[in-house]
Amino acid sequence: MTSERPVPVPDETSAPYWAAAAEHVLTISRCRQCGTMALPPDAVCTACGSTDPEYEFTPVSGRGVIRSWTVVRQSFLPGFDVPFVLVDVELTEQADLRVIGRLLDGLDAHIRLGAPVRAAFEDLATGIAVPAWELADD
Amino acid sequence: MTDVAIAGYAHSTIERRAGRPLGAVAVDTARAAIADAGLTVDVVDGFISSTMLPSAGGHRTVDGISMVSSAWMARGLGADPTYVAGFDGIGQLSGSVGMAVNAVISGAADYVLVHRALHNPAAGYHANPMREARGTHQWTAPQGFFGPLAMIALPYTEYLQRFGARREAMAAVVTEARKNGARLPWSYWWARPLTADEYLAEPALADPICRLDCDIPVDGVAAFVLTSAERARDLPNRPVYVAGQTNSFSGRRRLPLHWPLDDIIDGGVDVVRRLWQQTGLTIGDVDLPQVYDGFSPLVWFWLEALGVCPVGEAHRFVEAGGIDSDRPDSIPALSGGGALGNGRMHGVPQMLECYLQLSRRAGDRQRDVSVGLACQAAPHFGGVVAYTAEPG
Repeated sequence: MTSERPVPVPDETSAPYWAAAAEHVLTISRCRQCGTMALPPDAVCTACGSTDPEYEFTPVSGRGVIRSWTVVRQSFLPGFDVPFVLVDVELTEQADLRVIGRLLDGLDAHIRLGAPVRAAFEDLATGIAVPAWELADD
Repeated sequence: MTDVAIAGYAHSTIERRAGRPLGAVAVDTARAAIADAGLTVDVVDGFISSTMLPSAGGHRTVDGISMVSSAWMARGLGADPTYVAGFDGIGQLSGSVGMAVNAVISGAADYVLVHRALHNPAAGYHANPMREARGTHQWTAPQGFFGPLAMIALPYTEYLQRFGARREAMAAVVTEARKNGARLPWSYWWARPLTADEYLAEPALADPICRLDCDIPVDGVAAFVLTSAERARDLPNRPVYVAGQTNSFSGRRRLPLHWPLDDIIDGGVDVVRRLWQQTGLTIGDVDLPQVYDGFSPLVWFWLEALGVCPVGEAHRFVEAGGIDSDRPDSIPALSGGGALGNGRMHGVPQMLECYLQLSRRAGDRQRDVSVGLACQAAPHFGGVVAYTAEPG
């Protein structure tokens, strides 16, 4: 299995994220000092100010709501079949915790602001899966 | 008020691809600006610019070819500067003006050349052959989120949905920019206005964004000479005074290029509030607010951030003729054609229109105005400069 799409290259920081994703588990980096989640992790936690946030990738429910979307009809990156839907998702775990990914339900899906979604995964290559989204029941 | 003024300017023709290296065009334009200000190169001792090539294509930039730094410019002119610097943030021209003001006030330089040189690289502008997503790209590119069209499409959809706006209402923005740009001999779109039907016939690239919602990449250069208000009054042109300048700051952590609508609105309200605080002006004093329009939805966002109309109302305001430059009762927010009416000149059309109108050098387009704003980039990720025809 190979992908023409850009594949993530895990680094020292992100390795646990991509290892969990390969098992189809969505994680978000969480500050060990104050518990605030943020993606991507950084050298400082802007919520508590800690310069030793020791961000830890913590499994989340994979539940969220759509805050916005677009239909990408011209891709600037290789390997994506267009058109596809891209959604801006607010995760249920924390107010305003936002991630962006593909909605796998197709162009005819009924998309609206606030629609609930759940994490899904696209297997791009052996050991590499990328988080995406599917509409969920209310 | 800052006691700093614009003393002169020059502007190249805006072309899809210039037949000469960008650096050559930039040096010619800088020499013309210095001469326009009644000065010679030997007295210009400050050089400030920004070098960003606003493309996601990963193009290798070469100084003098695909961008022009202030150091390259000063060397190219054979100048002997005391202060050479670059603005590193977003809101490249408004930020450069802010640095020039600071340089003049601090005494770091007496006459500062601020320039911006934009280049349209060969091959695809944003297309990127990336196969491996490393660093910050790993959080967005494998997921399909890449490039500025998706960046602006997300808050645009959010706006349409939240405020019950229609994409068709954007025709009034784009045709207004093109109408005004079509009147400018130096514009890429000179003599080429756009009809609403032509706009609406254009297919979407990233819903609801189509090609005509985006400024067209071009080669072009503008240069301005700034100095103290006192020195400017001894020079040939009527000075245009810099009343104040603020840069946006959004402290919220986001994925790269993720611009939620609330970030844009909140950041815009903040940057404008600080401008009023700094200058003592209010939106009621401003008769020439030049909003940024590199992507058409930014016009709505800036009009609301500035308080020209309430949040959520800009689509109706513009559609009702609110920014029509030919109506005496409207707010001429795109009278300089903006980026949609000139080409991707990154804040130059807004600054140039403020300068030309307030120095009364706008020729047959001259308006009776006295306070201008030059907005750049996004309200939460850019900046704004206030200009006045009279000293503070």
